[in-house]
Order: sequence, then structure tokens, then C-alpha cells
Amino acid sequence: MTACRRNNVHISGDGPRAILFAHGFGCDQNMWRFVAPQFEQQFRTVLFDHVGHGNSDLSAYEPAKYASLEGYADDVIEIGNELGLKRAIFVGHSVGAMIGALASIKAPEMFDKLVMIGPSPRYIDDDNYSGGFSEVQIDELLESLADNHMGWSAAMAPAIIGNPDRPELGEELTNSFCRTDPDIAKAFARVTFKSDNRRDLKNVTASTLVLQCSEDIIAPIHVGEFVHAQLPSSRLVVLKATGHCPNLSAPDEVVAAMRDFVSSE
Amino acid sequence: MADDLVEDLEDLYENAPCGYLSLTPDGKIAKANATFIGWTGFSKQELYSKRFLDLLNIAGQMFYETHFSPLLRMQGFFNEVALDLVTAAGKRMPVLANAVVRRDDKNELRFIRITIFLAAERRRYERTLVEANTAAQVILTEEREVARLREQFIAVLGHDLRNPLTSILGVAEMLMRRSPDDQSREYLKLMIGSVHRMSSLIDNVLDFARGRLGAGIGINKESGAPLGEMIVQVVQELRVATDRAVITEIALEHDVSCDVTRLGQLVSNLIGNALTHGADDRPVIVRARTSDESLEISVTNSGKPIPPAAMERLFQPFFRGEVRRSQQGLGLGLFISSEIARAHNGTLTAESSGEETRFTFRMPL
Repeated sequence: MTACRRNNVHISGDGPRAILFAHGFGCDQNMWRFVAPQFEQQFRTVLFDHVGHGNSDLSAYEPAKYASLEGYADDVIEIGNELGLKRAIFVGHSVGAMIGALASIKAPEMFDKLVMIGPSPRYIDDDNYSGGFSEVQIDELLESLADNHMGWSAAMAPAIIGNPDRPELGEELTNSFCRTDPDIAKAFARVTFKSDNRRDLKNVTASTLVLQCSEDIIAPIHVGEFVHAQLPSSRLVVLKATGHCPNLSAPDEVVAAMRDFVSSE
Repeated sequence: MADDLVEDLEDLYENAPCGYLSLTPDGKIAKANATFIGWTGFSKQELYSKRFLDLLNIAGQMFYETHFSPLLRMQGFFNEVALDLVTAAGKRMPVLANAVVRRDDKNELRFIRITIFLAAERRRYERTLVEANTAAQVILTEEREVARLREQFIAVLGHDLRNPLTSILGVAEMLMRRSPDDQSREYLKLMIGSVHRMSSLIDNVLDFARGRLGAGIGINKESGAPLGEMIVQVVQELRVATDRAVITEIALEHDVSCDVTRLGQLVSNLIGNALTHGADDRPVIVRARTSDESLEISVTNSGKPIPPAAMERLFQPFFRGEVRRSQQGLGLGLFISSEIARAHNGTLTAESSGEETRFTFRMPL
């Protein structure tokens, strides 16, 4: 099994350079549906699902490997090696952004630009740092995830088929969006929300654009500022968009903010 | 025509048996019905200054941002979401929500409409299910580990129990050959008989334990197996320990494909039974013969017949007939024998009358 098959890689577009899009917790590559196509004229776009999500190969899920974000970063590098990526651009949403930062540290020649959308290197507060959540709140989240699995994994697919008012999504209607195996989702939530990658940020050599939403409870603005301050070479852009998923709620603003950064040499 | 029943739609909205909420595209509460406002305990003004997010506990807010909101954007609806709302009094209010987005002619998002149902009982029930499932998984993991240890234990036990028996048997047989006096030979005979009984008890117990652990009775069939020699050997071993005549009639003229050790175990079990239950003064007859189609081995003894009630349970594990206490075994011999027969695609049957009791093993060739 190749990494591309394992991670359900889809390649579109045309151009000398590639942009790799990585989704975050709670979804799959469908998250990029309003953003990625807008770069296809200028770039080769590479979309993929982290193992355990979307249409990735569930049998490739090894609890030990994916108990830290390093395991996910290694997958990114394997995909990059298979595709021969050099000086590519990595665009990551949420925890996908941190996975990209780790991958770029391990393989600096593979990615020379990084776009981090709503990143957070550490969600849990400690003495001199405010991540936005207490340990207890994160534990509560992990516990409550089980509440939604009944409606989530089994019942989603048939519900989506009868959705006539968004015909542009037709191709995908037979699949559910953002499918996850409940156990893997919980493990991914644990590794996402309990990781601490603050100290890795200073080792990122790639030039980085941090896109920060206003009013994002998952990654509050001071966390975006912290990421910006720690990175050796970065720009911080605060979007007008609110919430945690501007790539879905305000795709045009995200694309506009990225355009100059990714197009420059 | 139900003209006499004119539904008051305004009232239906306000006082419906579920909560209605309309959100602006950025998630602020733009409208809520009286039912929902009543449930939350907030005033209308308080509620209209909030985002839907503000009504959720922290875990719910994270779920909203990472699942609910993205999915609504992508597929336009999201049904059966379990959320915990927090009321004005700070109490947790478990609800189930359906949501759908409303777009205008230009496909711009206008509203997010949410229907809310109270779901406290359901949530408790589901959480109990989840907990029970988690607990069951833990127990299952522990049980698997215990089963693995048990299997290891059985393997070691079998080995360690057989070794001393083999030494005892070797010495007893040597003494038997050298010993001139009848008294000693009589004692040695008893001793050798006990060793054989013990040995087959160990085999049966280990097979039973293994079978219960799911491994079943394994057989290694080989064609041209020296079955006749095995039967003679088993009979000889048992003869040493008894004064009873054991007569063999062996006519194996066809090639038999079987597990010869296992069939030896079966024959040994049947003869042991016949010696225990049969009349003291009548011989036990062992017959083995083949036809073009089948192999048949039978063991016959005389004596009191097996009562009809006992016939039905003969082949069940731990079944013991009425015998003297000193001769009681575990009641596994016939069960294991019938399992050996089954593993050979064969059958083990019993017939019992006032004249004789006969166990017959048949297998197709």
C-alpha cells in the first residue's frame, strides 16, 4: 500500500509548485472544497485524509504510531516523498497546521512555505500560558464525543443522500462528509487537544503565514499571536471571519489572504 | 375538509412542543420561540444578545466549532446532534438538535434554523450504554488474558503430570518382569492399572479444557495408520491391570485414514468403561473391522443395562453413572470419545439391553 492510497490522496490542478492541504480535527479533505479549487490554475493541489478519517485506509491505523502528532507528520513526509515534492507549500487547518509545522521541521527541503489556519500549539492552560482550556474541560470534551457517535457514524450516510438543495455537492452525496471511526476520532481528539508543541515552533524554518479568525474559541487570538511570535519567519493576518473554520464560512477571504503569500517566490 | 380546525401557525411556532431557533450566518441568535426561551430561563433580550455557542458548555462549543458548524456549511443540514445547553440558572440541559441552513436566491446563507428537543432521559440512557460497553470491553480484555494464561497453564500441567507417570510405569513394568512372587505381581498389576487410569484421566481433562477454550479436539489424520497395532497395544496395557478377559477380534482389511493416537484414546476410554461397569465374570469384547465404506470399532460388555434416563446423557461432560465411589471418574471419557468420533466425521453410539452393552464407533472411509 502506497502512502497516497493509505491517505486517499487526490491531486488536481497544474503548475510547477504543489500545495498540500491538510485537514484538522473533526473533518476530512472535504473541508477544502471551497478553497483548493481556487488554486488549481496556478498550482498542483494535493488533498488527503489523515489515517482514520474520510476515505483513508482504516486498517493502517496503529494506536502507538498515531499517539502523537509526529506519526501524522511522518505520513505527510511519506506522501511528499512519493510525489517528489520539493519547495512545496503546506496549508494546514487547526491541528493540521501543527502537523505541517512538524513535517516541515523534519523535511525542510520539502516545504518552504507554510500556511497555518487557526493553529494552536497547546490548548491547555498552564502557569504562564493561556491555551483557552483547562485540563478538565478537555477531558469533558473527550467524554462527550461518545454522545454523538450514534448519529454520527452509522446514520450519517443515508441522511446525506436525500439532500436536494445543494446539487453542487452531488458527487459526494453518496458518501458522508467527515466520516470518522468513533474510536479513532476519540484518539485523534486526545492527541490533538493534549499535545504540547510550543517548543517546536522556533525550529520551523519555512516562511509562514498565520491566518487567525476573530472570535475563535478553539484557537483564540492570543494563541495566534503566540504562534506568530515563536515562529522565526512569519506573518499574522487576522481575518474578519469568525469561528474556527474560515475555509468553509469565508473561503474567499481565506483565498485572498493566501494569494500573495503563496504566489511570491 | 377540516374547516372547523384552523391551526394558529403563530401559536404553533411560539408554543410548539419543541424549541425553535434561528441564527444569523455568524451564529448569533436572531429569533427563538417561547418554548425555547422558557426552557433556557433567559429573557428574550438576554437570549437575543447571545450566540448559539454561548448556550453550550465548553465541550459542546468545541463540538459545535469542529463538527456542527463545518458540516452545516458543507451539507446544509445536520440532524440528531446531542448537545448540552446551559440554562440561565447554570444547569446542564441535554438536548437533541436538528439544524438546516436557509439560503436566498443567490445561494447566500440567510439563516441557520435549529429545532431543539429535550433529551435528558435519552442522554442518561445512552451514557449508561456507553459505560456498559466500555466496562464490557475491559472485562473482555481481562478474560482474554486469563484464557491465554489458562491455556499456557494447561500445556505445562499436561507435560508435568505425564512425566512422573511415565517413570512410575517404566519401573512397575520392569519389576513385573523380574518379580517371581504372585503377591507382588498382584500389587504391581493394580499399580500399572492405576497409572493407565491416571494417564487417560489426564488426557481427557486436558482435552476437555482445551475444547472449552475454543481450540477444539485437534486430529492429525494419516493414511495407512497402524490402527490394529494401536488397539492391540491399548488392550495389552489394560489387560495387565485386570483379571477380566479382554477378547479382540480385529479384521482391518482396508486402508484407514485416521488419527491413530486419538482412536487409541477412544478405545482405551471405552474398554476402561466396560471394565468398570461390566459384569466381573464376563469378558469384554473389542471388535474392529472395515468395509468398503466404513470403519467400525465396538466394545461390548455384559452386566446390568444402562437405565434409559442415563442413555440420554451418556455423552455429556461430567456425566457419571452409578458406580462405586472408588471407581468414579470425572465423567469426561465418553464426552471426549464422542468428540474424537466427531472430529473424524464419525459417530459414537451406545446400545444397552439385559444381555449386553455395546458402544460403537463408526466413521466413513
